[in-house]
Amino acid sequence: MATDATTPTKIKKLTPGEIQILWADGHETRHLAPLLRGLCPCASCQDEMTGQRVILPIHIPDSLEFRKIELVGQYALHFDFSDNHGTGIYSFEYLRELCRCPQCAR
Amino acid sequence: MAIWNREKDGPTEDQVLNVLKRVQDPDLHKDIVTLGFIRNLKVTDGNVAFDMNLTTPACPVKDQMRDEAVALVKGLSGVQNVDVKMTAEVRQTPQMDRTALKNVKNIVAVGSGKGGVGKSTVAVNIAASLVLDGAVVGLLDGDIYGPTMPIMLGITEAPKSINNRMIPQESAGLRFMSMGLLVKADQPLIWRGPMAHRALQQCLFDVEWGNLDYLIVDLPPGTGDIHLTLAQQVPLTGAVIVSTPQDVGLQISMKTLRMFQQTRVPILGIVENMSYYICPHCNSRDHIFGEGGAKRTAAALDIPFLGEVPLDVAIRQQSDAGAPIVVARPESESAKNLREISRRVAAQVSIRSYATLPELDVE
Repeated sequence: MATDATTPTKIKKLTPGEIQILWADGHETRHLAPLLRGLCPCASCQDEMTGQRVILPIHIPDSLEFRKIELVGQYALHFDFSDNHGTGIYSFEYLRELCRCPQCAR
Repeated sequence: MAIWNREKDGPTEDQVLNVLKRVQDPDLHKDIVTLGFIRNLKVTDGNVAFDMNLTTPACPVKDQMRDEAVALVKGLSGVQNVDVKMTAEVRQTPQMDRTALKNVKNIVAVGSGKGGVGKSTVAVNIAASLVLDGAVVGLLDGDIYGPTMPIMLGITEAPKSINNRMIPQESAGLRFMSMGLLVKADQPLIWRGPMAHRALQQCLFDVEWGNLDYLIVDLPPGTGDIHLTLAQQVPLTGAVIVSTPQDVGLQISMKTLRMFQQTRVPILGIVENMSYYICPHCNSRDHIFGEGGAKRTAAALDIPFLGEVPLDVAIRQQSDAGAPIVVARPESESAKNLREISRRVAAQVSIRSYATLPELDVE
């Protein structure tokens, strides 16, 4: 279910490889392209049945960048990455779950 | 100053606006002045004239708000005449940049969990009702495999196309598009998911919809490809769920509801179809599928209940004859119920059109 914690108010590209998401609860998340790419939820990066990861962040070069960032309907983001991969749909819930700020990492 | 002179002066514009602030829009929970509904206010001596510009021509409380406003202004000292012109301008739901649909203000999906609950009948009649109230409406038959709109609207000819864009057919004052217009009636479409996905995309983006206040999309039953395509490709203003009063129908509709919630499509409410049977001989009512099922579910889930449509032979006859009942038999109970339902949908759309999408700053 949508809550303030999983509702973005603004998505900003800070550098070619980093985005900032501001959430309706006031929280701020920063995501690096290589990490998001390495945790891509699409069926070729993660086994459909078992959920086991095929692609991991360690497989992705640090230099990876965002080529295109779009909304998917009203519930997710879609990224085209500089390695030509672009099949993942990142729900707002998933993007918040992946927040690595000191507060969320605790 | 002489009394006649004071009366002739009448109230100031500020006095009129102040008193109009007491009129609340019951759906938007704000007063009509703050909402910017009052336009072209003119006070000449004791004559007050203004436009009341609502967020939909199908506003269910239009008359109530007008009467309230007129009574309040007439209560001001020195007012002789109050002249209100009712206008409407449908607000646009925040849209992504989809050039083909940029002039479509609101997209509303009509869905149900299972087939045969009368989704298409409800969708057609909601669309035709909105037209009767003065809105510009499009109707997309999203049922790629089992399109019924051409029959219900009495047009089966393929649409013309100009510059590779299809021109929607027109019937009952609305523009519509259906796979049934492109494929022969007895010809089945034996397609896998990706083809259906492409077909829906084309019906959305390769059709010259023009300026629309509402685009109603009649979904196929269930929770499949078409639903996902729609939820992913366009920011829907919301979805209307159609169900019968029967428990099993309702439980399955819950799946559709959860799907919309997961993809964050706002639920505009539930319409209960086949609520009761009106006997054509004696006019008695029978609750064949039970009574009040959808209403109870709506209350339990805290979503709006939009109304009941009876199981009425006339609805079926009119659908088969190609004219929606709200147009062909406007005096019937079914037509009146459907008109009310469409106004409640319009009111819910107005509420949702104030929602916002996240701001994207990614260039």
